[in-house]
Amino acid sequence: MRLLIAIVAGVVLAVGASVGVVNLAAPSPVPVNKPLYNYGTR
Amino acid sequence: MVRRVWPVGLGVLLGVLALGPALAPGFVLAYDMVFVPEPALSATSFGLTGTLPRAVPSDALVTALTAVLPGDLVQKLVLLGIFALACSGAAALLEREAAPVRLAAAVFYTWNPFVAERLLIGQWALLLGYAGLPWAVRAALAARERRLRRAWVAAFLPAAAGGFMAMILTALTVLSVAALSAQPGRVRALRRTAVACVVLSLPWLVPSLLRGPGVPGDGAGVAAFAARADSPLGPYSSLMSLSGIWNAEVVPGGYDAPLPAVLHLLVAVAAVAAFALTRGLPGRRGLAVAACAGFAVAALGITEPGRAALRGLIGLWPGFAVLRDAQQYVAPLVLLQALGVAALARALTGAPSPGEVAGAPSPGEVAGAPSPGEVAGPRSPGEVTGAPSPGEITGAPSSGEVAGPRSPGGITGPRSSGEVAGAPSPREIAGAARRGFAARPASRGRAAAERAVITAVVAAAPLLLLPGLAFGGWGRLGTVEYPRDFERVRALVAADTVPGDVLLLPWESYRAYDWNGRRPSLDPLPRYLPRRVVWNDAVRVGGVVVGAEDPRARALDGLLRSGAELAGPLRAAGFRFVVLDGDASEWNAFQSRLAGARQGYAGPHAALYVIDNPAEQHEGTVPVPVAWLTWFVAVSYICFHLIASRSNVGAHEPRAEPRSQ
Repeated sequence: MRLLIAIVAGVVLAVGASVGVVNLAAPSPVPVNKPLYNYGTR
Repeated sequence: MVRRVWPVGLGVLLGVLALGPALAPGFVLAYDMVFVPEPALSATSFGLTGTLPRAVPSDALVTALTAVLPGDLVQKLVLLGIFALACSGAAALLEREAAPVRLAAAVFYTWNPFVAERLLIGQWALLLGYAGLPWAVRAALAARERRLRRAWVAAFLPAAAGGFMAMILTALTVLSVAALSAQPGRVRALRRTAVACVVLSLPWLVPSLLRGPGVPGDGAGVAAFAARADSPLGPYSSLMSLSGIWNAEVVPGGYDAPLPAVLHLLVAVAAVAAFALTRGLPGRRGLAVAACAGFAVAALGITEPGRAALRGLIGLWPGFAVLRDAQQYVAPLVLLQALGVAALARALTGAPSPGEVAGAPSPGEVAGAPSPGEVAGPRSPGEVTGAPSPGEITGAPSSGEVAGPRSPGGITGPRSSGEVAGAPSPREIAGAARRGFAARPASRGRAAAERAVITAVVAAAPLLLLPGLAFGGWGRLGTVEYPRDFERVRALVAADTVPGDVLLLPWESYRAYDWNGRRPSLDPLPRYLPRRVVWNDAVRVGGVVVGAEDPRARALDGLLRSGAELAGPLRAAGFRFVVLDGDASEWNAFQSRLAGARQGYAGPHAALYVIDNPAEQHEGTVPVPVAWLTWFVAVSYICFHLIASRSNVGAHEPRAEPRSQ
């Protein structure tokens, strides 16, 4: 039973990781004029 | 020995995986993380200039290290050390647990959204305190013993080195743990822990309290630095998932997708539930209180009434500004969840509960010496390979066992005189049979294989949940070399014999240098140049400007924004140099106002103007002898504990067996 839980959890986590990596690899829009003096944006 | 070494090695491995390109030659310049080739000790390094001593004593310690090692190597060692310290600390806190349980907690504590976001925003000093937190909790638990081990104080050194936020988070956690411990000697533990926190805070605490009046804790920062939702599930979910930093730019890639966000939240809830249901975890009560308090502070800025309350507090006393960047207060919750993950791992792998891992010292115990009840020899077969009873998985006593401390004749209790050291006791054999461990080798092998699979899943889970931390946040922590212009300016300033300070322009604190890939970073020149550098330490968050804290910066603000000629007023204010860096197209507005100064150097990345005959300037609201005294007391305290504590702190008394909380 514990093994089954672990395998299911592993598969779900692997799917989650795949989604995360796909999102990572997807090109994100880069602002044309990045502010020069910003600490960050909310 | 192996039990203590592998977590360090694992931490280094995780660090290499997380830092990736940051370990290449050169410097990582990202947001608050600034290391330079040859930093110089200055009044700022010790918090003597009247501004908040945010980098005390971390800057001074880095400067000392840079005296013997190259600056970029120091940066890499510090960053790798954070991972090694965090991983080994979480494992050390669970020293009595089986290896898969320790592994799960160690990986979770080292690889999570909190670490990712604070690393990407460059707050290495805070992370140093975070990395030392499990060690400090372990020390707080050990402080109940009458006789302290020699290196007890070493557990607090990462927080001490990290400075004010590192120590505040550590104090919040360890004082709760010491105060709420169920062990005898609680008052002693609380007293010792409190003294350690206060004494090691003196180098930044005293300058903070003695700095001049009228330096406001800007209420504008409350909204700017409040925790925010960085996933589709809302701000509270983000905090529960250990993320929610105010800056959207430092959220790890891929983190904000719905599925990873849901998985993070599920793991967080499961970990908290496991922590709540499992007895015997180290510092359980105190950690629960610290985590709840930290979560409450972190959530304070999410709602408008909370922000108003915080603004009111800052209005009463500017020191409450330490609550503005509130998300960092979830650090105790990270440790709580790591212990919860350990409890989950114990349940899933069927690892024996701490009481069954005979021979391992308790979390708070003196290194090496097992307690009387732990002098058992090699583990019985059942202890090594068996699954625990249901009661052991959840922390509830199994049938035949009594809740709370185990009976003297229990598995971990002293053996009777008729027992042979090293051989399983009758109770152990009975326990093994009860759990069905007198099994054939084939089924034992299958159980071991199952446990290996489960261990792999549990240990890999944090990495699978957060791939965006790998490889320096997928390239965000790449290294660069400083422009040669910086070195030329530094040489000219160092060679000049006329006293006077340096003014840094443009009048902003953060830069997005072309040579640094337009990544935002704190201007490195205040650390790079060997003189007092005055710069605008106000920060810009979108359209909000959080006001300057340096009294001299605030005094010059009107002049620099006015468009008036600069050389005369700057001469009167004691400035010898004006340095321009950043985007050269921004320099024109200032160069035209420096007609009364002569140009000493001009390059594509930096320019230097020299002002003749600057007035003598005396600044500093903190008397230097007082600052030295704080360092003397803190260093003496450390030396006393490292060298002389064993022979001076009381006589030996038997160590108490840890009880479930």
